[in-house]
Amino acid sequence: MSEEVVLSGGEEHIASAISEEVVITFEDVNKWYGEFHVLKDINLSVRKGERIVICGPSGSGKSTLIRCINRLEPHQDGHIVVNGVNLDANVKNIDAIRSDVGMVFQSFNLFPHLTVVENCTLAPMWVKKMPLAEAEQIAMKYLERVKIPEQAQKYPGQLSGGQQQRVAIARSLCMNPSIMLFDEPTSALDPEMISEVLDVMVELAETGMTMLCVTHEMAFAKKVADRVIFMDFGEIVEENAPDEFFGNAKVDRTQLFLSQILAH
Amino acid sequence: MASVESQSGDVIVFTPKASKPPPPTTVGVLGWLRENLFYSWFSAIVTFAALYLIFITFAALYQWGIADAVWEAESRRQCLDASPHGACWAGIIVWFNGIIYGRFPLDEQWRVDLGFILLVLWLAPFWFPRLTGKIGIGITAVVFYPFLAGYLFAGGERGWFMQTMVLLAVTVFITNWLHIVVSMVTGRSLREWVVGVTGFADKHERLHKYPMLGFQGIVLIGVYLWLGNWSVSEVNTNLWGGLFLTLLISVLAIVTALPGGVALALARRSHMPVIRVSAIAFIELFRSVPLITVLFMAVTMMPLFLPPDFQLNKLVQAIIGVCLFAAAYMAEVVRGGLQAVPNGQYEAAKAMGLTYWKSMNLIILPQALKLMIPNIVSNFLGLVKDTTLVSIIGLYDMLLMLKAAGQNPIWIGLHTEPLVFGAIVYFILCFAMSQYSQALERKLKTTR
Ligand SMILES: Nc1ncnc2c1ncn2[C@@H]1O[C@H](COP(=O)(O)OP(=O)(O)OP(=O)(O)O)[C@@H](O)[C@H]1O
Ligand SMILES: [Mg+2]
Repeated sequence: MSEEVVLSGGEEHIASAISEEVVITFEDVNKWYGEFHVLKDINLSVRKGERIVICGPSGSGKSTLIRCINRLEPHQDGHIVVNGVNLDANVKNIDAIRSDVGMVFQSFNLFPHLTVVENCTLAPMWVKKMPLAEAEQIAMKYLERVKIPEQAQKYPGQLSGGQQQRVAIARSLCMNPSIMLFDEPTSALDPEMISEVLDVMVELAETGMTMLCVTHEMAFAKKVADRVIFMDFGEIVEENAPDEFFGNAKVDRTQLFLSQILAH
Repeated sequence: MASVESQSGDVIVFTPKASKPPPPTTVGVLGWLRENLFYSWFSAIVTFAALYLIFITFAALYQWGIADAVWEAESRRQCLDASPHGACWAGIIVWFNGIIYGRFPLDEQWRVDLGFILLVLWLAPFWFPRLTGKIGIGITAVVFYPFLAGYLFAGGERGWFMQTMVLLAVTVFITNWLHIVVSMVTGRSLREWVVGVTGFADKHERLHKYPMLGFQGIVLIGVYLWLGNWSVSEVNTNLWGGLFLTLLISVLAIVTALPGGVALALARRSHMPVIRVSAIAFIELFRSVPLITVLFMAVTMMPLFLPPDFQLNKLVQAIIGVCLFAAAYMAEVVRGGLQAVPNGQYEAAKAMGLTYWKSMNLIILPQALKLMIPNIVSNFLGLVKDTTLVSIIGLYDMLLMLKAAGQNPIWIGLHTEPLVFGAIVYFILCFAMSQYSQALERKLKTTR
């Protein structure tokens, strides 16, 4: 699949602006679904401005890992600290953290009963109490950034998959988040729409946003990632810079996985 | 095959063929008849047989109900003498007032009419295009209208609470309509208009509510001076009846069923075991018991649970019973609708930082309610018809008034005509609701 996707603006890795400040920390995190041990001793720290790509076979716990960051899934053991707030059972202000962490889903999850611009203004108005005019202005700014301002008055059902996913990205950006999470944002899309979404994500990376992306788009990973993480059976198997990861993986499991997805 | 023509070289240019009209026998009235009614000799026979059956049914109905019908008579005897095989609509005409108002005193019936006219006026703005603040109007209708209508119907002395609610209701009604008129004329809401006129427009937005509150206060004072001492005579609820009572119970049940059902459905999905189990127990209890049992329990057992100096009358008890029953049924409809909203919608709402109640109100319920419209309406239809059961506990709803007509010595034996009349009234009510819901569904579908 990676061969088909052509990213505009060349292949070379874009410059990163990583600061010293750590914004996400996982410390010996374990999680179970009932009896099923889905995350095992996860340790990870993400600094401000860092871009991380997470890959791994289906069912390895990638989604679960990033959904723990905004506590869509609670963990049972260990510590997760996001922007200095420890996420545990008695976290006070989970909604405040969520409003600062944007999330883009594989299935877009736009609100079908609202127009594109209403999708974008909803959270700023109801979570941040922003007046309508200002929220609309911001919504249009981000819809322009994802190159679909002309679709603002349509309903999500009238848009193509790629357009819907770009709206979903704009919708998250309208909350002015400091961290963006992407859970396989392109895997529900037809090949010709994948690059339009990836282009938007590359541009977002260029603005210095902290990003965690679950994706198998290797061209995107090579171009954007500061670190690539490979997961299997709920563990972080390998964690490396993209050149090293793709050219010179240390663990046999990683090599096997890479050979499988690149052989495609 | 598309027609192709060779151009210079070996490039072939594709030109689509022009569309031709379909063969005449497949379109239009004739085509439709041929295709649906007479496509074989067998279908032709069935068509004619069905037409014949419809014809004789309607001919007989016409003969009985119109051709041979008696419209003016003093008693059923006179009816029978005039036309032994025709309908005696004269009886319905004599009983008409009772069928509509029950035994509500003649001189006071304008209060019932006024009550329903006010309801229509209160809700009419919902059908105005491009009006803002409809949700607020709807909430005021649920919160204030019942007190105004309740006082209109029951009358008598007003305690301080009833006095407050009635005056507030009138105030809200007036400001609602001022808002509508101002919006239609100036294109701005009443609030913006008041803010503009009082010169608050350049002040901070947080202060904008004060001019509006002041404005409403002035209206309230006006209403107090106007209606503060107004009162109407008491009409005992024993005298309420007929279509009035049927509509009263139905409307109250419908209005409480939806919010009650939503609350119960959310409680049933709650993560708190006490709330969830109570909701399940309530829903399952009321769904497994026939309405008539609920009504008997409401009338005979509810007093046992209430303090002795706080007794309700039979009508209020029956209404509470019907409302609880309706809410339990609605809860399951709402739960079905909530389940039909994909999980991703909940997650997206959560991930944006919306609280539980905001995500329910802004995202989940609007989608769920849209999916539920057909079920909600069939539930409402069932409810309207089920209210006839209150006649069994001795409330003179329309059905009992219709029966009473045939038991009166002068009109004894007049059974068919009242029931036919009742059937027509119920049909009009229910068919209108059903048509409206379908129109609503079509309208909402286009915006999806
Ligand atoms: N709510 C749940 N309850 C029970 N098990 C779950 C739940 N969600 C996920 N799982 C299981 O946890 C494991 C990890 O799931 P997860 O969605 O994190 O995998 P993933 O790496 O994102 O896979 P994919 O590439 O298919 O999205 C899977 O085996 C899945 O079946
Ligand atoms: Mg996943």
